[in-house]
Amino acid sequence: MRTAVWRAVAAGVALGVVSTLGWALTGGPFWPRWVWLALALAAALTYVGVRALRITPGPRRWLAAEGGLLAVLFPFDLVVWLMTGRGHFWPAYSAAGLSVLIGLHQWWMSRRPSAEEGALRRRIDTLTRSRYTAVDLQATELRRIERDLHDGAQARMTSTALAIGIAERQVASDPEAALRTLRQARSTARAAVEDLRGVMRQIYPPVLADRGLRGAVEALAVDLAVPVEITGSDPPLPPPLGAAVYFGTAECLTNVVKHARASQVEVRFELHHDRAAVEVIDNGCGGARVDAGSGLEGVRRRLSVFDGEVLLDSPAGGPTRVRMRVPR
Amino acid sequence: MRVVVAEDLVLLRDGLVGLLQADGFDVVAAVSNGDGLADLLVRERPDIAILDVRLPPSFTDEGLRSAVRARSVIPGLPVMILSQYVEQIYARELVADGAGGIGYLLKDRVSEVDTFVSGVRQVADGGTVLDPTVVAAMVQSQRRVLPLDRLSPRESEVLELMAQGLSNAAIGAVLVITEKAVTKHTANIFSKLDLAVSADDNRRVLAVLAYLNGRST
Repeated sequence: MRTAVWRAVAAGVALGVVSTLGWALTGGPFWPRWVWLALALAAALTYVGVRALRITPGPRRWLAAEGGLLAVLFPFDLVVWLMTGRGHFWPAYSAAGLSVLIGLHQWWMSRRPSAEEGALRRRIDTLTRSRYTAVDLQATELRRIERDLHDGAQARMTSTALAIGIAERQVASDPEAALRTLRQARSTARAAVEDLRGVMRQIYPPVLADRGLRGAVEALAVDLAVPVEITGSDPPLPPPLGAAVYFGTAECLTNVVKHARASQVEVRFELHHDRAAVEVIDNGCGGARVDAGSGLEGVRRRLSVFDGEVLLDSPAGGPTRVRMRVPR
Repeated sequence: MRVVVAEDLVLLRDGLVGLLQADGFDVVAAVSNGDGLADLLVRERPDIAILDVRLPPSFTDEGLRSAVRARSVIPGLPVMILSQYVEQIYARELVADGAGGIGYLLKDRVSEVDTFVSGVRQVADGGTVLDPTVVAAMVQSQRRVLPLDRLSPRESEVLELMAQGLSNAAIGAVLVITEKAVTKHTANIFSKLDLAVSADDNRRVLAVLAYLNGRST
């Protein structure tokens, strides 16, 4: 680069010197001044261009290039005007014309959003959508938990308290009946605990807290009717994200058992520097789709909240490959 | 009989201790923390340890890991694990060493005081007591790999009860059949599954669990 610049400079100077020598030999008016002027113009424009190229692409580069062009061309016109006998002051028109063109271009650019701005706008759209999804999912989840607690554990605890109250009244008059009522109260209380356990499992599976994502998937695999091979190491994800990926993996495995008619499933954990991925691959019949209202659509929504995505590859005839990608 | 209890919830710990003392157990230590629990078990060598799976400081499966660690030093150290939830994978890990003396029950089974206390004594004697929920899950998930379909429905029931650690007499009581009928069923099960017949209750449970665990006996 540097040598190319020096070569161009040397060639320019040589051209000027040769033409000056030529004029010295032939005589006449000093025409090489036009050669020197053209060389100076080329040098000045190159300088402006190189300066502009150093600025990151965008409106600021355009402003530097166009401002530089004006700053070079107007003095050039002035010199030409001086050298051609100072007639009518035409450089005013060329300078005004160029200024208007530059002004128009700058105005047009200021109205058009930059690529950066476009990307930001799209990001804001995505975030707004995923925030609504998050709030929506959370509200649905809370409503379901509320209903489960209301119909299950709460109803059973109320019934337990009632039975104990009845037993208190029976103790003196009919101890045998009191004993029967108490037994019933105990079994109702146990059923309430059973209900609570079910609700807790849906909120955050205890085994996930104990063993991490990989361990929890292993525990899931033990219960499954299809042999599961688990590869890769446990991705260290924050708990809410880990739970979302766990429920996603559980959904995929349920689908495999229900629909895929597969004889083998692989769950593969992958760790990249800024992302983690879990892949569920089965050798079943394929043809899975992410339809509205489907389990996979639910997984996609749930992961989108964390900037995660679900990629599905399931040609008819199989195999099916579901890839869940999330940031770490 | 010397007992160590580890349970972080005061209410439950006091309840357990009271219940055990009322039944003549000698509670030598009742701790609320998993820190140094394995060492405590090795030092005290209790006749039985009753541990909650989830304990501070990590609030994960501290109790379970302490039990496995202590049993690696003292093989067969009787341990009863209590938990708010049961996982098949934990049950498999616990019985994997084949040494016996293992209990794994849902916490709310404690409310059936008599059954619970006899379970504790059974584990202290080297027996194995597993929660029905976890046994049912084990049988269910092994159905695909093991020839469990060869068993009649009644034999399946008997297999599950055996895996829970019940004796022939207890199985008979649950299913309301004679002990002789139970003996006949167990003999059928053992021959259908190609298991070596064992008269000893403890060894019989271990054989069944090892079988369900997918290991050859």
